[in-house]
Amino acid sequence: MKRLNVVLVSLALLCLMLPITAQPARETSTKAVTLTMGSWRTDDVEQMNRLLSEYKKIAPDVTIRFQPTNPPDYNATLRLQLDSNTGPDLMYARSYGAGLELFNAGYFADCTDIPGLMDNFSASNLAPWQTADGRMFAVPFAAVSHGVYYNKDIFRKEGLGIPNTWEDFLALCTTLKSRGYTPLANGLADEWDILETFFFGLLPNYVGTADQRVRYESGELKLNDRNFVAAYQAMADVAQFCPRGFESVTYNDSQVLFNSQRAVMFVDGSWTAGVYKDASFEWGIFAIPAPKGKHTAICFHPDMAITMNTKTKHPEEAKAFLAWLCTEQGATTASKNLPSGYFPMIKFPIKLENLHANEFLALNAGKETDARFVWPKLMHLYAPMNQAVIRVMKGQISAQAAADSVQALR
Amino acid sequence: MRNHRTHHLVWLLYLAPALIMYSLFMAYPLLDSLRLSFFTGNNPATRVYVGFGNFEKLFTDPQISQRYWSAFFNTWVFFLIHLVVQNGLGILFAVMLTFDTMKARHVYQTIIFIPTTFAVLITGYLWKLMLNPVWSGDFFVSIGLPFLRHPWLGDTKTALIAVSLVSCWQWLGIPTMMFVAALRNISVELLEAALLEGAGNCKTFFLIKLPLIKPVVGIIAVLTFVNNFNAFDIVFAMTNVNGAPEYATDLIGTLFYRYGIAGQHPIGIPDAGLGSAIAVITLLLLLCVVIPTLKKTQKGGA
Repeated sequence: MKRLNVVLVSLALLCLMLPITAQPARETSTKAVTLTMGSWRTDDVEQMNRLLSEYKKIAPDVTIRFQPTNPPDYNATLRLQLDSNTGPDLMYARSYGAGLELFNAGYFADCTDIPGLMDNFSASNLAPWQTADGRMFAVPFAAVSHGVYYNKDIFRKEGLGIPNTWEDFLALCTTLKSRGYTPLANGLADEWDILETFFFGLLPNYVGTADQRVRYESGELKLNDRNFVAAYQAMADVAQFCPRGFESVTYNDSQVLFNSQRAVMFVDGSWTAGVYKDASFEWGIFAIPAPKGKHTAICFHPDMAITMNTKTKHPEEAKAFLAWLCTEQGATTASKNLPSGYFPMIKFPIKLENLHANEFLALNAGKETDARFVWPKLMHLYAPMNQAVIRVMKGQISAQAAADSVQALR
Repeated sequence: MRNHRTHHLVWLLYLAPALIMYSLFMAYPLLDSLRLSFFTGNNPATRVYVGFGNFEKLFTDPQISQRYWSAFFNTWVFFLIHLVVQNGLGILFAVMLTFDTMKARHVYQTIIFIPTTFAVLITGYLWKLMLNPVWSGDFFVSIGLPFLRHPWLGDTKTALIAVSLVSCWQWLGIPTMMFVAALRNISVELLEAALLEGAGNCKTFFLIKLPLIKPVVGIIAVLTFVNNFNAFDIVFAMTNVNGAPEYATDLIGTLFYRYGIAGQHPIGIPDAGLGSAIAVITLLLLLCVVIPTLKKTQKGGA
């Protein structure tokens, strides 16, 4: 009985304490707001936290927590969170179909009326996150580019120069191979990288940019025309310059091969630029050159945008952050803190500090650019095209057969 | 009368935790995926009933059905390799380990069993590196085995076998231990009698030991079947979720994950209905094989 009394008394005391301890917490919670941001960029935690702490200087009451998920799992994880109403307040949005689907499902907010959005971005930079009737479902954030990473030290030692045509590029590879080097670090094991960085990287050189792409999308041009066959043939031609056993070389393996100087060049996306910042050798980037008689074009791909959850508890704060990204000040701060290899999409002239980022961006000068070929309209051909490229590189089918197999599914 | 009733209630009380957990985390999801296979759409609010539409799509859509049958075939190969290699070696090692003359038995037992305690992702990644000629090629050449320098996981002909054998290597300890336990249960008199009758090791094994451990063989065959028909992690770790190269290592498990949970890269829009349809067919298939196998082996042995 005595013990029970003690318990009761202490319980009563605890109850008395509750309001005291709860009071200050409640007071701050009316002012301070914490928002979460979902992303697939697990590599960028440091940079994003810098960017978000910059934002905190402008909006001291708003704390944004960056919570990225593993890239291949992002879409699935995000979907699960959104389906179960535990989605982040702000999140990265994929371009074109993948993002649009989540907008149509009612998860992404309509961003059209965010101040500055429609004015400060060009139409082509808005398009990847725009519905057919012109509504915006995200604020464009960053684009990525594609090119050839090369080891400057080895080029210098061997007296080699940057190739201007695809034919020169192949000759360069032959020279390197004959001198005992592995010319290219690319492999096939992870599948996506050979298609997204290499094939889509060189495709604009063969089939042209947006004005031609729409003719392929409409069916006016065939996906097994001369240009496409030539592009597949180009992939078949480089297979011999990839590492021995490239069939089982993963994307990570390729990076290690290039970084450890076991391969001289690596056709990859700009997002990897940060990976080699501590490399023990000098490296640079050149554009994948077009074959003789064609113009070199760049695959400059709209990649990331940021949007807000329709079910967020703090719509005002989330919206304010997105509006900040649409201002010159916000975009400049964001660009400065973007990981190297990601390029701002806003109209204002923004100077990047990173040497290699500028080198990548400089590739665009005087050249036409376009998104990755299948993204805007032909996404259902991604997997078949991926398999076609792999089979052509393994020598299982001819370039013509590869092109035909994709056209057959159109 | 009253006593009787409380007696019943107490029984229920003890059963409740397991019952609640089981129904919540096993039975309910199982039944719900049966239900889901008749719907399409991912948002619970806008889900539409389509009858057998998902099943129809699975078997009539040329691209989807091609993927399904390829995964179906690969899963059988994957399972059969386990059945023969993993369980065959399991019996062999168990017999060796239970010999009276066997020395340092515990050392061997530990070596055989240790891989099962590793995470599949870790063993998968390690083997992936070892089977990659870029990293292990020079080593194989230096020890005079240049034919081992081969992209085992990049070659459509060898990838599935390589993945299966790695999985066999990892899980070999389980059947071995079960066979060891079963063999130890055989009474010594029987073996002595056989010895007195002049039966050799081979004869003793096939006429005495094997028939007596038949129930365990059956259970292990069933477990192998159930576990490997749901296999997913080893492929995920060693090749990729597409079952590279060219879907050569695509199993029903990875196919289900791609269609039902993650969606195809790079769009990543899953089709829960289609995924559930794949899961339901797998469930039916498992039941069709498991029930007769259990009936046959358990009756004879018990």
